[in-house]
Amino acid sequence: MNIQKLFQKTLFGIFMLFGLIGVSTSILCIYTVDTHLSKEYENNSKGIAKTIADSSVDIILNRDLSVLQSLIDQFVEIQGISYIYITDESGEFLAHTFVPGIPDQILSSNPFHMDTVERHLPGVGDFVEVGSPILAGVAGTVHIGMDTGFIALKIQRAVGQQAYLISTIFIVGVFAAIWFVNLAAKPIETLLAYAVKLARDREQGISQGDKILARKDEAGQLARLFLYFAELNEVENSSNATAEGNV
Amino acid sequence: MCAMSRRTLLRSGLGGYLLAPWLSSSVIAAQAGRNNPAGENIPDTGAVAAGLTSGEIVLGMSAAFSGPSRGLGIELYRGATAYFTEINQRGGVRGRDVVLKTYDDGYQPDPCVENTMTLMLQDRVFTLFGYVGTPTVARILPILKKFQDQKTYLFFPFTGAQPQREPPYGEFAFNLRASYLQETAGLVDNFMALNRRRIAVFYQADAYGRSGWAGVRKAAKAHGEMIAGEATYKRGTKFSGSMRMQVEILQKAKPEAVICIGSYAACAAFLRDAVDLGLRVPIANLSFVGSENLLKMVKQGRSDSRRYTDLLVNSQVVPSYHDTSIAAVREYRELIRQHNPQAPRELLKEEYTPFPYSFVSLEGFLNAKLMVELLQRLGDHPQRSDLESAAFSIKNFDLGIGEKISFAASRRQGLQRVYYTIVEDDRFITLDNWEQRFS
Repeated sequence: MNIQKLFQKTLFGIFMLFGLIGVSTSILCIYTVDTHLSKEYENNSKGIAKTIADSSVDIILNRDLSVLQSLIDQFVEIQGISYIYITDESGEFLAHTFVPGIPDQILSSNPFHMDTVERHLPGVGDFVEVGSPILAGVAGTVHIGMDTGFIALKIQRAVGQQAYLISTIFIVGVFAAIWFVNLAAKPIETLLAYAVKLARDREQGISQGDKILARKDEAGQLARLFLYFAELNEVENSSNATAEGNV
Repeated sequence: MCAMSRRTLLRSGLGGYLLAPWLSSSVIAAQAGRNNPAGENIPDTGAVAAGLTSGEIVLGMSAAFSGPSRGLGIELYRGATAYFTEINQRGGVRGRDVVLKTYDDGYQPDPCVENTMTLMLQDRVFTLFGYVGTPTVARILPILKKFQDQKTYLFFPFTGAQPQREPPYGEFAFNLRASYLQETAGLVDNFMALNRRRIAVFYQADAYGRSGWAGVRKAAKAHGEMIAGEATYKRGTKFSGSMRMQVEILQKAKPEAVICIGSYAACAAFLRDAVDLGLRVPIANLSFVGSENLLKMVKQGRSDSRRYTDLLVNSQVVPSYHDTSIAAVREYRELIRQHNPQAPRELLKEEYTPFPYSFVSLEGFLNAKLMVELLQRLGDHPQRSDLESAAFSIKNFDLGIGEKISFAASRRQGLQRVYYTIVEDDRFITLDNWEQRFS
């Protein structure tokens, strides 16, 4: 497939435009998905932490801690939640889901700090931790850790899908552009060929009967103009020759 | 039975239950007859008692028959079956055979919940019996409350946890064995008496582990101490798994004794790694561990197994099966030898070689013996609604182990005594002198 020199810049422009759209859309997608998913997971975790906190009051005050453990074991099965721990009002750990033990970083942290924090637990991973007080904190606290790796994986998937879509559109677009360029260049090629043929025919004194002269588009008009100027040129040449002979 | 067909049957069972008030008694009887192959034996007495025919009383059991804790379910089943078989051969309970309908839950809560629904709504068993495990039992207690008008109780589960011993679910269960609180308190008290005050806990990261952890914490607090250190493992961990990290965590706490709240595969792995890494302190296990299976794993392929077991102490809730001076032990040994019961073949997914005798099968045997006594007290026309009053009628009853059993509304645990055992000559014997062994 020959791409005409005339349209090479146009094609380059199309590539650049697609690239720009692809990159900017991906960046926007990463930002949007990252922000929204992170926020969504954080809000969900806060909601779960509050649910556990609310339902823990009765258990902590009246029942065996195995019931509390059973409760958090069910919540930790939710995708994205990596760990849960519950402390009493003195900060002692009453129930948790850590294996093989409570990480030192969490042991040394202040359980009554309820703001969302980012944690890097060596050998375990990176987490965003949210907290909720139990009975306004007088009965203890609940903390939930979300795996940021899981959120990153979700983002990667969303961005990957976006990139896949844009790449597909880009490839289809490139082939379509090449096809359109060739389609647009075809009359010009015909016209060029006609002009060359016209020149040769005139040289050899052959009369014109090309189909292109019958066309009603710009190529036909240009062909008729070329023929007109060629005939005009011939008339001028023969007048000049007659005049020179008279002299 | 495949999961799909069980689900379908479960739905039909649930539908039947929900629609029961609008169905005529004949429709319900026909439904019962379809579900029960022996339906034609249902006595023509009007109302049909669930799990009951003129020839059978069906009890429902969900336990671990597969996975790393399968030894517990299989041994408990064997002990119970030895006694039920004997009773059935002697003519059953007032002419009815005691039939144990069993399902495998692999010691996992969700399958246990599904099995319980099947047993209650599809199989319509007379009552539930011999469940295994805290995380499993803790999850099915709300089902008993939800269907409390059916008067289905859970008898003698193989767990010492508190949820089935206290409100709001305690009223739906009857326990035979001592609790984990009693077992852990006994271990802590004995270690404290030896001036081993820094007690660490190695436990299963679930409701069972937490129950034992809470027991140790409570007992240590009574002595003015805290738990010195703790490490956990995931339920289902195999003996081949490494417990190196757990041992290292506990070593940092410099414990003077370690109490393990787990099942045999993980606890055997911990014992192996603890000894290999130089943690030379007494290591205790609760009765749930399955002592014989633990010992078998620790001994496997080792000529020097003594160095792994000389600081081992296991609490038990039944007396030693070696002590033939106890009448119930003699009876247990005789019936196990005579009937040699095996686990239900259709539930066995992995090979398992049963022990001739074990603490777990002795407990299953005692559970069955008390269950039969209770069924006898229901008379010729047993009704679920009479189960509670029949249990409460048991006062100062002797199972043959020298400890009297009584039940009441405020007393839903039959036995209170905790025994301690150590390994000598590759078998568990009763520990008489803590000072001599561990000082």
